[in-house]
Amino acid sequence: MNESAEPSFRQSKRDFLKYVLGGGLLAWITAVVYPILAYLKPPKQSEAKISSVKAGTLKDIPKDSGTIVRFGNKPAILIRTAQGKLRAFTATCTHLDCTVQYRKDMGLIWCACHNGKYDLNGRNIAGPPPRPLTALRVIVHGDDIFISNQP
Amino acid sequence: MSKPVHLLSALVFAGLLFAGSLGAADQCLICHTGQGDKPSALFRHDVHFLKGIPCSGCHGGNPNAAEVEQAMNPKEGFIGVPKGDNVSRMCAACHSDSARMRRLGSSLPTDQLESLQSSVHGRLSISGSERLARCTTCHGAHGIRRVKDPLSPVSPLNVVRTCAHCHSNAAFMRMYNPSLAVDQVEKYRTSVHGTRNAKGDVKVAECASCHGSHDIHSAKDVKSRVYPTNIPSTCSTCHGNAAYMVEYHIPTDQFEKFSKSVHGVALLQKGDLGAPACNSCHGNHGAAPPGIESVSKVCGSCHALNADLFSASPHKKVFDEADLPECETCHGNHEIVAATDKLLGVTPEAVCSQCHSPEENPRGYAAARLMRQLTDSLQSSEKRAASLVSEAEQKGMEISEAKFKLRDARQARMQARTMVHAFDPKKFEEVADRGLGVAGVVQVEAQQSVDEYYFRRVGLLAATLIITTLAVSLYLLIRRIERKQRALNHVGRRT
Amino acid sequence: MIPFWKRAYNWIDERVELEGLVHFLGKKYVPVHRHSLWYYFGGVSLFLFIIQVVTGILLLMYYKGSEELSFESIQFIMSKVQFGWLIRSIHSWTANLFILAAMIHMFSVFFEKAYRKPRELTWLTGMLMFFLALGFGFSGYLLPWNELSFFATKVGTDIAGVIPVIGKLVMPFLRGGDEVSGATLSRFFGFHVAVFPGIFAVFLGIHLLLVQRQGMSEPLGTAKEGGDEFMTMPFFPNFLLRDLLLWLIVLNLLAILAVFFPWELGRKADPFAPAPAGIKPEWYFLFVFQTLKYIPAKLWVVDGEVLGILLFGIAGLLLLLVPFWDRKSSRGQENRFITYLGIFIVLYIIGFTILGWVV
Repeated sequence: MNESAEPSFRQSKRDFLKYVLGGGLLAWITAVVYPILAYLKPPKQSEAKISSVKAGTLKDIPKDSGTIVRFGNKPAILIRTAQGKLRAFTATCTHLDCTVQYRKDMGLIWCACHNGKYDLNGRNIAGPPPRPLTALRVIVHGDDIFISNQP
Repeated sequence: MSKPVHLLSALVFAGLLFAGSLGAADQCLICHTGQGDKPSALFRHDVHFLKGIPCSGCHGGNPNAAEVEQAMNPKEGFIGVPKGDNVSRMCAACHSDSARMRRLGSSLPTDQLESLQSSVHGRLSISGSERLARCTTCHGAHGIRRVKDPLSPVSPLNVVRTCAHCHSNAAFMRMYNPSLAVDQVEKYRTSVHGTRNAKGDVKVAECASCHGSHDIHSAKDVKSRVYPTNIPSTCSTCHGNAAYMVEYHIPTDQFEKFSKSVHGVALLQKGDLGAPACNSCHGNHGAAPPGIESVSKVCGSCHALNADLFSASPHKKVFDEADLPECETCHGNHEIVAATDKLLGVTPEAVCSQCHSPEENPRGYAAARLMRQLTDSLQSSEKRAASLVSEAEQKGMEISEAKFKLRDARQARMQARTMVHAFDPKKFEEVADRGLGVAGVVQVEAQQSVDEYYFRRVGLLAATLIITTLAVSLYLLIRRIERKQRALNHVGRRT
Repeated sequence: MIPFWKRAYNWIDERVELEGLVHFLGKKYVPVHRHSLWYYFGGVSLFLFIIQVVTGILLLMYYKGSEELSFESIQFIMSKVQFGWLIRSIHSWTANLFILAAMIHMFSVFFEKAYRKPRELTWLTGMLMFFLALGFGFSGYLLPWNELSFFATKVGTDIAGVIPVIGKLVMPFLRGGDEVSGATLSRFFGFHVAVFPGIFAVFLGIHLLLVQRQGMSEPLGTAKEGGDEFMTMPFFPNFLLRDLLLWLIVLNLLAILAVFFPWELGRKADPFAPAPAGIKPEWYFLFVFQTLKYIPAKLWVVDGEVLGILLFGIAGLLLLLVPFWDRKSSRGQENRFITYLGIFIVLYIIGFTILGWVV
């Protein structure tokens, strides 16, 4: 009786171990493969760039208009003057950090918060802003416009 | 001192000695008076003549010689009429020598030439050979009087005309500074200072009171007393002096209040030249307190958006009818502090409740209450979003994008604060809702980021459990295999 | 019915004669004695290297090796890519643990004189891999292009520049110019992902082949204690399963480190900014760095720094060639000198590393 009981107990224990081992292995493979597959899935947002960003193409920005583009952590404003010249500045108002915009009717860069005005060279010409906007470099490659903070 | 000045001072000193030893028998004066010329007549009232300094003190020559050939002989040291900068040098021979001035019984300062030379008048020249102004330009040549003498060209009542001689001459000023205005005197005469000065009040400010006398600098020069950051203290030399101002019956605490105000802090402590000094509201040459009607225009020259909104608001008409100064009624004047949200609403410290009560003015009361509620909720939801962002940041999560969006919420709050001046709840709600929307989005994103942080820890726990299970069962497997091997005498055998 | 895996085995066996290999593995035994623990560090090093290869390839999917973008691309990996933080932190942590494990592996071999005949080539390839690992660490450290790594690379390449005779050629070669710049980054990137792995793979292949061919070395001392024969255990499955068990534990440790101590990114390098205070190299270079600080600027007529570098160079060379000059161990005699030398080296490295850490 005893001799026959022992092997059957062993048998069940072995099976149990086998299941645990197999299940654990499967779970482990999942735990390793899932992060890797998730990692390989390209994120929604496009790739990392900061010191120069593509601000659009020449077609996107007609003469006498301006547009806000994201430049790293801060907004930048890209302006095309009525004469067709491209200029870019940091779009953060030097007064209280609001975001400035191009006003076609004024031909100026204007801050909606406190009516601060900058001319198209970024100089603060009216209202509360204490300092000019920082100029950024505009580079045109074919049809693409890039903004860069490298001098 | 350069050589010619040495020579000149020796000359002047010799002249003084002669005058002293020979009394008033000055042959120059005798002869020139006889000819009836103007300089000799004027010189008899000159402070220098009264102090015993003869013609030869400045012109050289021998005052004892009766003969023209000998008296006005270059060999006797005669130099004729000093030209150009030599005039100032001649004056400075005595006036810059403190020892000599003391000997002559004078307590005048002795830095005039030095000040003049570094001033805008001393530095500008057209010909290059001489400076723009020399002593005689303002003080005259032969009829020089004490500054306090009402007949002196630089006395408080005359100095305006003296300065205007050049500064109101557009043709002359064009040679030096074509863009400089030439209407200062005209404006001055409209100011409180100018009208009183014209009536003979010698205590009110004239040109030199603000610009200085010998040490005048361009207003763009940081050394200038009228450089923006220096203006408040320049004005307060008189306006802050209670004893001096006693007869005018106006307060003297403006400087004290101003320096604590948002404008004063920006200008005086942060050095923000865009911030207003006294003259920005009161005018400079035409200085006068702005009238009730003009207050909002004055403030609106910088705070244009607020002024525009206000002018279009229902308050405009009511304020005008009640003779209330527009901005000042809520914000004060010299002691304007940075406006906080506390000004808005219906709480006791809010300015709205001064006029609006639920009984008398229920519409305005409701509008004030609504705008305050919106501002508060905008602020608190922005704050909550910001704290969530910083929590995520502190947990080491990368959240720069949500942080970037947070700017928009802040901007909306800024704009809402401006929009208050329209006193229109609808417009206000529009701006505030935009801010609330953005703040909500940021809150969600930041919360996700914080959740991600905890997800990582839970994930690790799960992975650890899996690995531990696997490791333990592996260990059991090894043990069992070895037990089996031992049974078969595999392990422990010797090679 | 024959199970699937059996059929698959047969299919392969028919073509490549697996039977011989299985037979060989089945007959392989690992000596069991009180120093057996040290046998596992070779396996751990191998496992860590495999992790480095896998995570390194994964990082390559998003990394951009240029002055303007490398910092941002790692920021991107850490923030935007799912599990990017995990992959990057594991890669950085594994790099350090790999060098540590390799070091322990090397010293255990050294103390047991396992490099003695016939295993000179195993030692030689192992040492070369260790030097390569240091190269991996040095080149990989720069790749995030942050402030600390920028200046550490500046100092490190400066030191390479004072090597007599060849220094003036080596430094511009390493830097890709006169200064540490974007060109340096490109070079280091090339070394890190192409040159070093290629060479490493060759050495690793030889090293593993030799280990399998020759089996584990038996220490000299234990032979006396245990009599003529050893306690042994079969390599397969006993030793291999133990290896796997340890690898699992190491993997878990890595995950814990990555979650609780994510590898910092720091601030982006600005070549024109002044060097921040407390610039230190990675810990495994710290003892060299610290020694060079203590050597006086001039020793008689020789430049102190040059002398230090020469000494370290000679020491490294002697260590590399130890199987060839330690004749005693090769004859099977105990060489106490080597043991004392090893103790001195270990104490020196530990002491100066702590000094460098604290000071």
